[in-house]
Amino acid sequence: MNIRLSIRHTEPPNEAMEKQNTERGTLLASDLQKRPRLREAAIQSFLFLCGFLSILITFGIIYELGNESLLFFGQTQWSSTNKPLAAAISADQTVIEVGTQGTPLQEGAQYRIEEEIVFLQSIDGEMITLQRGVQGSQAAPHSGGLTLQAALQPDLVEFFTGTEWAPHNGKFGILPLLTATLIVSGIAIVVAVPLGLATAVYLSEYATQRARNTLKPILEILAGVPTVVYGFFALTFMTPLLRSILGAEVVGIYNMASAGIVIGILILPFVSTVSEDALNAVPRSLREAAYGLGATRLETAVRVIVPAAFSGIAAAIILAASRAIGETMIVAIASGAGPNFTFNPFEAAETMTGHIVRISGGDLSFNSVDYNSIFAVGLMLFIMTLALNIFSQRIVRRFREIYE
Amino acid sequence: MNRKIQTLLALLVLASLALAACGSAATAEPTQASAEPTAGPTEDAEAQFSPLNVSGDIITAGSSTVFPLSERMAERFREEGFSGNITVDSIGSGAGFERFCEAGETDISNASRAIHEDETAACQAIGREPIEFRAGTDALAVVVSQENDFVTEVTLAELAQIFSTAVNWSDVRPEWPNEPIQRFSPGTDSGTYDYFVEAVLDDDPSLIQNSVGTQYSEDDNVLVQGVLGSPYAIGYFGYAYYAENTGTLKILTIDGVEPNEVTAEDGSYPLSRPLFIYSDATLMTEKPQVAAFIHFYLSFVNEEIVDVGYFPASDAAMQTSWDNFWAALGVPPM
Repeated sequence: MNIRLSIRHTEPPNEAMEKQNTERGTLLASDLQKRPRLREAAIQSFLFLCGFLSILITFGIIYELGNESLLFFGQTQWSSTNKPLAAAISADQTVIEVGTQGTPLQEGAQYRIEEEIVFLQSIDGEMITLQRGVQGSQAAPHSGGLTLQAALQPDLVEFFTGTEWAPHNGKFGILPLLTATLIVSGIAIVVAVPLGLATAVYLSEYATQRARNTLKPILEILAGVPTVVYGFFALTFMTPLLRSILGAEVVGIYNMASAGIVIGILILPFVSTVSEDALNAVPRSLREAAYGLGATRLETAVRVIVPAAFSGIAAAIILAASRAIGETMIVAIASGAGPNFTFNPFEAAETMTGHIVRISGGDLSFNSVDYNSIFAVGLMLFIMTLALNIFSQRIVRRFREIYE
Repeated sequence: MNRKIQTLLALLVLASLALAACGSAATAEPTQASAEPTAGPTEDAEAQFSPLNVSGDIITAGSSTVFPLSERMAERFREEGFSGNITVDSIGSGAGFERFCEAGETDISNASRAIHEDETAACQAIGREPIEFRAGTDALAVVVSQENDFVTEVTLAELAQIFSTAVNWSDVRPEWPNEPIQRFSPGTDSGTYDYFVEAVLDDDPSLIQNSVGTQYSEDDNVLVQGVLGSPYAIGYFGYAYYAENTGTLKILTIDGVEPNEVTAEDGSYPLSRPLFIYSDATLMTEKPQVAAFIHFYLSFVNEEIVDVGYFPASDAAMQTSWDNFWAALGVPPM
């Protein structure tokens, strides 16, 4: 249908048809010069738009992450102390009484009551002395029972060095989440790389064509299993298995090891498929030369083919690593749901992705500290995977062997 | 090719429509048969409270704890034929009273505590006289695994220590084992967490936030799994989840009181609190849909409340609610 229409469009207009009879030669020449290939142009611009759109989306994500993270680092965050005013206060009252409950207040800190920002000068039991209307805010009367909000100021140094993550409580050290992410993906890599590489070597160097045709699709099914299924596989199979081997007192019900092993299984096909392609791309002449020198199959594979395909294999591993870092569902289910600064893989600890999914799952209000903090975590995650991708490109370029 | 896809799509649409029809048919099953004869005066009077016979909007707001219950009742009210809009906002008990008493925007205020005197005064200032209807009782269960053989009871102060500064069990009581406490808590957004912080930790969330390695989850089943995972684990959640796992979990007595329908109701269990809805007599007369919804709420709340996760209020408390209801409408109780 479409094809016919576009051909009609390319036909010369009627006026030109009349001229055709008289000036045949000139027309032929002009025909050769410009025939508007609308269909080709349309296809080209459509394909360009597709590519452009994905680039646009990437920039959109970076912009959004950066913007929200700036909000997090650039602005003072407010978090409720649950500490109420004991009675209504007027706009010029500086000594006021507060309730006994709630988080203890601190001298020399800033607090907010509704829109007014106050500076807490001294505390005497339940009586506090305030400097009213600081930071350009207006001193105003407030009714009793309103709670004070504490000022929290995240800074980059604390973000990268602090070992406690409790944004609500003014603790902004990302290390507990970062170490959990690194431990879980480290375990996944340790599981996936030897298995995946061995599988790739078998498939490319040892397996018959028939065996390969059967095994490869089966292996790729692993990549098609929904990650939520993997999550429950980790929680209900891998964790009990680890606990029966190592003892229930050593291995927690939620632990990083079980999540890591199962992520290893998830990324196994990434490692094996991409590595196998790399191994297959090594020219036949290299194999034949090795055999000609009297090398065994194993020697050929390990000493000649794998080093020759190193750049491809490294790319496969790094691709799998960034997949492991970004994996969310498995860790959310099996690895634990609270930040925990530990290096023991059998303890529960929350990864960066697990934290984002847990925090965003509740009904948090927009612009609360927890809400803003997940964008900073997201940006960190993005930077990590981006760095890995750039690193992998450099490795590929550095170690690429070019065969004529 | 296109034909095939079109046929497939058409089939899919048909199938989903059929499914949807089945679904709504199943849920729209009228439950009127179960409408028990309440303390209402006459059959005629009952008819005016049928969701089918009233229309207009009902605006409710307040406690996030009462929210799931009110939401459930609103849903059922709509299912049984109410054609107007009901909104249920989860903004907290205090903010709920502010909207009910100061702004006068809402028809019903949900609360997980009784109204304060100053709030009543604010209501009276705009010509509203708050009437209290008891909806049920909320109780938290503090649980350990049945493999735990050393804890059966804790005091409120010890519970506060367990969920804040204590690292090992022996830090709380010397005779308890020298093993790390594994804590499981509902997520920081949940009303259960808020209530625990308020009732146990004197409203200071930084205490539990600073405790080491505490695991949080919005999914109570995750908490149950976690507590079951170790004899040294402890957790808390709504009583309903304990009730589903009585075979594997052990519930602790708090200050020597075991939570059950009786102790939750009379308030002797420290981690229990009454749930209320509030309205106003003039409002209920002027807006028959509000009266109808409250009538419906009181009639059927006990069929839904356990499912939502709370305890039913005592018969006496419900009777008081009914008395308040008929008094508000100026109908003498039978």
